[in-house]
Amino acid sequence: MILLQSHSRFLLQTLLNRVHNLEKAVEVDYNWVEFDDVRYHVQVSMKNPHLFLLSVSLPIPSADTVFCGGLPSGAIEAIKAAYGILVQILDPPRDGFNLTLKLNLSKLPLDEDNRHTILVKVASIREVVLGAPLRGILKQLGSRVVASDVNKLVALVHRPKESFFLVPQAEKVTVVFPMRFKDSIDIALATSFLQEFVEARRTAGLNNAPPCSWSLSPPQELKGAPSDALSANAGFVTFVIFTRHVEGKRVDRVIWSLSTFHAYVSYHVKCSEGFMHTRMRRRVESLIQALDRAKPDAIETRRKTHSRSFKRLVGDGNAG
Amino acid sequence: MATTLRLYLTCIRNTLEAAMCLQNFPCQEVERHNKPEVELKTSSELLLNPILICRNESEKCLIETSINSLRISLKVKQTDELENILTKKFLRFLSMRAEAFQVLRRKPVQGYDISFLITNYHCEDMQKQKLIDFIVQFMEDIDKEISELKMSVNTRGRLVATEFLKQFI
Repeated sequence: MILLQSHSRFLLQTLLNRVHNLEKAVEVDYNWVEFDDVRYHVQVSMKNPHLFLLSVSLPIPSADTVFCGGLPSGAIEAIKAAYGILVQILDPPRDGFNLTLKLNLSKLPLDEDNRHTILVKVASIREVVLGAPLRGILKQLGSRVVASDVNKLVALVHRPKESFFLVPQAEKVTVVFPMRFKDSIDIALATSFLQEFVEARRTAGLNNAPPCSWSLSPPQELKGAPSDALSANAGFVTFVIFTRHVEGKRVDRVIWSLSTFHAYVSYHVKCSEGFMHTRMRRRVESLIQALDRAKPDAIETRRKTHSRSFKRLVGDGNAG
Repeated sequence: MATTLRLYLTCIRNTLEAAMCLQNFPCQEVERHNKPEVELKTSSELLLNPILICRNESEKCLIETSINSLRISLKVKQTDELENILTKKFLRFLSMRAEAFQVLRRKPVQGYDISFLITNYHCEDMQKQKLIDFIVQFMEDIDKEISELKMSVNTRGRLVATEFLKQFI
């Protein structure tokens, strides 16, 4: 898996499980956490087995990001547009969560394919909610509507107490990610990864991809940003999204990949660290073998036993 | 490039061959103790002159000899930040497994990346020639491993970036 999937796999599995055994009443009460501190809670009671309560808690926004009513702007509209009559938003949400949805599983379409599509959509609740403001801005870009707040810096939350920034303009949207990592190894690997983004953009096949740049110092676009946003130990990545990048169906993918860019890079940093450990372990083994070769008696005894057993085997075979 | 490496390694091999003539030598200060003199440095008459072999500024090898022990310290080349991190990580990984490599020192000597401590007991247990082979192979392997690790990081980075950017097309 190179790209991150937009649906939560466990949520999808739980939903499918529930839908396939709809008549069977079971108590379900699951709590789990996903990357970037997104927590889920699902609940199904014995009394109403077709009602599925799904609560989502989002990362705590930093001071400069605005949440209205505990949700990113435009999230309620986005949920309504995405799920229609299937869900009902409960107000107030469950304690400790930003959003609680009541799914009525009996209202699912009967057609198997349609049903699966909508369940995948439900499992991508995170994309719908967290990506809502981004979707609004990219929609404006796609429809070439010049918004009133052109050139104004917009901060969107993507990690606990961290945001990334957008500068919407008439023909393009500039997206800036301050990249922060905790570990010095992570920083070094991420820095080299981010430089590869700039390099990869230059290759012939990716001429139409968004222009991408990386710098250690904050780019010009972040002039009006609060000072705590301007410190990033792995530099700043800037993507410039043009109208052609958000045409048609593509926009969903773009929203997901932009809102999880940090998670994507960090996931691959961790993967390559894991790979390095495997390699190093193998190398240690081969070096220990090289050292063992220096011990005389160990080899001699092994060689002796080997040849003896070999001879005996041959002898037995002949006799037989 | 390859020839300078070959020369560097040959020089180390020859020096080690000359230096590795260790004998049992009990401690002079404490009765019934037997300690590696190169670590303690209690009496100067038991120590030989240390030899420093340099390939360039960032790659060098210090060989310190005494009557009953020998210390080899290596500095591995690190051209950039990534290589620096990879080297540190890899050598730390090796040092933590020093128990498995009897001749590896747990901590490198100040100013070096990794050190070996060979005592006369090691020389009695193992064949001297093979032990030298091991040291030289170790040096070759470290260089190879670090450049391969670096390459794999870069390749992965490129792939990750390409896949990400492909989504926009």
